[in-house]
Amino acid sequence: MATDLRISNISKIYPGCIANDNVSLQFKSGKIYALLGENGAGKSTLVKILSGVISPDNGEVFLNEKNLKLSSPLDAKKNKIGMVFQHFNLFETLSVFENLSIDATEDNKSLRVRINEIFKKYNFSIDLDVPVLNLSAGQKQKVEIIRCLLRSPKVLIMDEPTSVLTEQETEELFISLKKFCEEGILIIYITHKLKEVLSLCDEVAVMRKGKVVSVSQTQNEKVETLANKMVGQKLAKIKKKINISKNKDEIFKVKHLNFYSDDPFETNLVNLNFSVKKGECLGIAGISGNGQNELFQILSGEIITPDTSIIFRNKEIAKLNPKQRREYLMAFSPEDRISQAAVPELKIYENVALNNFKSSNFFEKGLVNERKIKEHSKKILSDFSVNTDNVELKSQFLSGGNLQKLILGRELITAPELLICYNPTWGLDVGAINYIHETLIKINDQEKSTILISTDTEELLKLSDRIAVIYKGKLSKIMPSEEVTPEKLGLLMGGGSID
Amino acid sequence: MSLDISFIGILIGSIMASSVPLILAASGELITERSGVLNLGVEGMMIIGAISGFALMVITDNLFIAIVGSMLSGVIISLIFGFLTQSLLTNHVATGLALTIFGIGLSAMLGKNFVGIPGKEFPILFSSLRESIPFFGPILFGHSIVLYFAFALPFLTNYFLKKTKLGLVVRAVGDSPVSASNQGINVVLVRYCCILYGGAMCGLAGAYLSLIYTPQWIENMTAGRGWIALALVVFATWSPIKVLIGALIFGGITILQLHMQAIGFRIPVQFLSALPYLMTIIVLVVISRDSRKIKLNTPTSLGRIFYKEK
Repeated sequence: MATDLRISNISKIYPGCIANDNVSLQFKSGKIYALLGENGAGKSTLVKILSGVISPDNGEVFLNEKNLKLSSPLDAKKNKIGMVFQHFNLFETLSVFENLSIDATEDNKSLRVRINEIFKKYNFSIDLDVPVLNLSAGQKQKVEIIRCLLRSPKVLIMDEPTSVLTEQETEELFISLKKFCEEGILIIYITHKLKEVLSLCDEVAVMRKGKVVSVSQTQNEKVETLANKMVGQKLAKIKKKINISKNKDEIFKVKHLNFYSDDPFETNLVNLNFSVKKGECLGIAGISGNGQNELFQILSGEIITPDTSIIFRNKEIAKLNPKQRREYLMAFSPEDRISQAAVPELKIYENVALNNFKSSNFFEKGLVNERKIKEHSKKILSDFSVNTDNVELKSQFLSGGNLQKLILGRELITAPELLICYNPTWGLDVGAINYIHETLIKINDQEKSTILISTDTEELLKLSDRIAVIYKGKLSKIMPSEEVTPEKLGLLMGGGSID
Repeated sequence: MSLDISFIGILIGSIMASSVPLILAASGELITERSGVLNLGVEGMMIIGAISGFALMVITDNLFIAIVGSMLSGVIISLIFGFLTQSLLTNHVATGLALTIFGIGLSAMLGKNFVGIPGKEFPILFSSLRESIPFFGPILFGHSIVLYFAFALPFLTNYFLKKTKLGLVVRAVGDSPVSASNQGINVVLVRYCCILYGGAMCGLAGAYLSLIYTPQWIENMTAGRGWIALALVVFATWSPIKVLIGALIFGGITILQLHMQAIGFRIPVQFLSALPYLMTIIVLVVISRDSRKIKLNTPTSLGRIFYKEK
């Protein structure tokens, strides 16, 4: 039976922010719909309304011309609307089966039979009796999807499903979604990744600042046109002028970097040697899990390895901790913004004070100089165009892009000679990515150096002067980036070799 | 003193009796905590149960009404806690502490007129079997019905949590209230029920003290047992069976060290008095070493306030 979902004039206002402004959209089964928008455009609010988690101030939802009252998640379930949240709604300490059985109406035996049928049909395989906390992100997502499928949904909503998946898992997900679609399930796919929209979806609705700004067929769209609609302005194309000059000084030199760990989840690093010149960006490519974490931690001083030599500005710093390295004008931007780079429960100015370098005078005689820190924080907020000027705001209320700008601002205010960043644009939307890229290029223009560890090939090709690939803890030879093509990188990242 | 076999039987029987209030209160609190609510008011709820049970017994002269009434009083006082923490979203720790202080004060005030009144004998079951079978008689028979209930309770609790749908819901709410809410579970209602159940069990534990174990009313007669029950739940890593083991060890060493003191061992009395606490913690830590199991049993959201998005 065909499904027809229509939302009409939905509005939701939060204090100080219009999350949804008169949103009307129509969806029909047999197609995959994309809901595209930057972080904070109102996509998540809209899907929370559709799944009954929050109720709208205004507007109605119709399923097959029946007006739905969605005042609780139970209502959405009853009306066969399934939802896979971006942050999984699973019970980590319960087993997979318990997670699936919690809202089932049948007995455990027949439920197991039905789950196994779904496994067979879609080629899934997950051990039902292990606790969910032992699963990978991709498997957790499958559990969420199965939970929806068990209720034979008419509508399946996926909220940014690929943000936690590897490329392989993403491909598998897309295959499953296409299968669901063929079976007549209406799929609404929420994302800010443009390429996914083009490769997976049939129709795309773009949201900006709470409003729907365009609805179109994806076959008529290109990455650029969608990006412009999403951001609302023409995005400047960024491409760095590559500057390799042989006679520049080497500012940073690593020799004999070895790392050995007993932890099976860590990667051993084998004899890494490289150097960075003044004003240069060294890119380190690789599929995540090939030793980037360990490399970043060793470069930043979180892990000290014996027998490694790290020369920075003619001084041996291999034995120094991160704070001491900062004193020598190094700066770091780790991958995980929430748990490594910032403390989400602390206010913005408190997070700024965490990077307590010597010349800052943030602390005097053991006391906090709040006035000074706040002044300093305000400057960061305005210099790095963070979308708030309230330094008292808790950092957890900043979107990913704004938090990353704040972190970069915090790190750069010391005018470091070398910035080491790891996936600086991970999970950010186009506008924020552009801003971060511009900032990183500006650093090189000022004759300061950067090391960019990233899993995003495009980003690396855009920003690096020289590129090396890390694979299973080993570094390839370092290549000038004009000699590097995406194909070459892909080959090296997959463990192949060139010439 | 001769340590003959029948004496050991009687000793074990008395150890079982002394651990009943701990088992009851800890099993109740375990359910509360498994739903993610940390109620530090166990001591307060127990003492209220003790005085209301005793007072009702004196007034109505009916032990059944006294027992049921003590459980109801536990429910009522835990309802205060539930309303404050679940509806008004107050901090669990502060509210629980306040509940204990309130309970101790209120019970002292209510109990003024009941001091010195002798209690009534509580009926014991199978008393003839107790005398006729050596060793096992005093262990298995001649106890009040509350004791049999208390010893069945950890197993029932375990069955409830692991095998029933409702138990699954309680664990789910304790694991992630946000996910549970998004799955359509009424988190606040589940937590209210668990709090009230915990209150009823604490009330019963208190009544056991004032009606059965030492049938009289003495001010502050719970004497910190509520706190021990709370500690048991944590050190037993939220496993009902381990709560039973812990309560028995605590009760056992309490009784044994009293005997040792009486015999006159050349060990400082202070050390002997501290022994039950020490041994209980050591044993429970040793049997609960498996960090994976701890992680799986610990209610992740324990003590955290849950807001529902609107």
